Amino acid sequence: MARAITPRQKWTFTLVAWGIGLLIFFPILWTILTSFKTEAQAIADPPVFFAFDWTTENYTTVQERSNYFHHFMNSVIIALGSTLIGLAIAIPAAWSMAFQPARRTKDILMWMLSTKMLPPVGVLVPIYLIFRDVGLLDTRIGLVIVMTLINLPIIIWMLFTYFREIPVDILEAARMDGATLREEIIYILTPMAVPGIASTLLLNVILAWNEAFWTINLTADDAAPLTAFIASYSSPEGLFYAKLSAASTMAIAPILIIGWFSQKQLVRGLTFGAVK
Amino acid sequence: MATQHSRAAARLMISPAVILLLAWMLIPLGLTIYFSVLRYNLLMPGDNPFVGLENYEFFFTDPAFTGAVWNTVMLVVGVLIITVVGGTMLALLLNQPMFGQGIVRILVIAPFFVMPTVSALVWKNMFMNPVNGLFAHLAKGLGFEAFDFLSTVPLLSIILIVSWQWLPFATLILLTAFQSLDSEQLEAAEMDGATGVARFWYIMLPHLARAITVVILIQTIFLLSIFAEILVTTSGGPGTASTNLTYLIYAQSLLQFDVGLGSAGGVFAIILANIVAIFLMRMIGKNLDL
Repeated sequence: MARAITPRQKWTFTLVAWGIGLLIFFPILWTILTSFKTEAQAIADPPVFFAFDWTTENYTTVQERSNYFHHFMNSVIIALGSTLIGLAIAIPAAWSMAFQPARRTKDILMWMLSTKMLPPVGVLVPIYLIFRDVGLLDTRIGLVIVMTLINLPIIIWMLFTYFREIPVDILEAARMDGATLREEIIYILTPMAVPGIASTLLLNVILAWNEAFWTINLTADDAAPLTAFIASYSSPEGLFYAKLSAASTMAIAPILIIGWFSQKQLVRGLTFGAVK
Repeated sequence: MATQHSRAAARLMISPAVILLLAWMLIPLGLTIYFSVLRYNLLMPGDNPFVGLENYEFFFTDPAFTGAVWNTVMLVVGVLIITVVGGTMLALLLNQPMFGQGIVRILVIAPFFVMPTVSALVWKNMFMNPVNGLFAHLAKGLGFEAFDFLSTVPLLSIILIVSWQWLPFATLILLTAFQSLDSEQLEAAEMDGATGVARFWYIMLPHLARAITVVILIQTIFLLSIFAEILVTTSGGPGTASTNLTYLIYAQSLLQFDVGLGSAGGVFAIILANIVAIFLMRMIGKNLDL
């Protein structure tokens, strides 16, 4: 904003914004801090902020007691697997709709989006029964299939909006210079499409990692990713805040990092181009 | 330059996506509608006779139904009010010049990346727990009685937790909208003597109207399906005090194993979500020029 701002105003904005920012972030900070406390310190009154005996014991306990790494890997496999399969299906579709839009392209895009509006609970019963009958309940493969399908519309939409921004004129120039279709795709289109594909990948890993309806309802233990595994901490079992915090910190850390990198794509990916 | 050949290629490139989504939509949808007219309970083996609209009748007259509708509305509206008002003010603040703007923005959007089960359990135990929670410590420190959030005001507590998760989304989108605001218009208004409130009300808010509508519609779609937060905090209770439609249908289907009843509820949920979706789709469609 070009308006003249006095240093005093700037300092006021800084203080207020940092205050509110830290307040909103506090539950996450508190979880991270608590994960390094003993269970007794975790519930100490008055609460301790930094002056406690830092320990990594909770992390080892969580791993030993419940094979945490197994669930972590389930999350990785389900989030990454569904995103990669989704991309493999979506890239050709988005590519052809962006570069060769036909009369029906808009209808197809809108219809694809409409499948995303279907409330999951509306189809819970049939999916559950189908999964039970074909033996997909509590399997990684079953969850990869469901995650691929529920995020496919978002993947296609995001890719479509990115591909649309690639200047097609550049292809004309390449063709004039005698480039073949193959060369066009490999040397011109692909390098320009990669950033969009990467952003789509990141956002969808985030969405699949945090999905908590299907992962909870379609798994028991073996294929349970972190969302479902953490839900099992909901039953009270005495002193457990520090362990809950350790399990939570490990579950959210990777996504916090990816999320901070892709905050710009978030708007595009979740509003389907309706806000610019 | 669409030749016959390239058109066939285009069709080939789209069809896997179309076929998969078509199957994903039609098969479960068809089965939900089909199950909804059968007397079908997994605990009662035998054939599943056609019963017409009996399940719908049971669903709508279920003692928990009215409460669930009410809770769903309260949850959606409550979270929308908090996130839209809070998000607008936060976006306005983050749009001002300050030191460390990037870091503040990161702090503010972080909750959006926390998985629902983690945020619900962290709030439930470490903040709202009446014995060991931080709020209880705080209340005792100030000489008040500790307050048992999740048993006394379960729905309000869930509204607060979900608002914390969705505030970043609203803020981020409204901030994007603020940044596309023409600053010359604001300067002109300022020179004409418009107060800060007037500038906000007559210039910024109309500019934000579209973004706010999109936030409301998208959030409504997601908020209608809130599930994990309720499951891990209150399991819909005490009683059915925090049961929303999604949780009610889940309980009927997978806890009482009443496939027919759950499916009737599912059909109702689909219709409800579609009413919102129509408006959202219209807005998105208008912005999509092909």
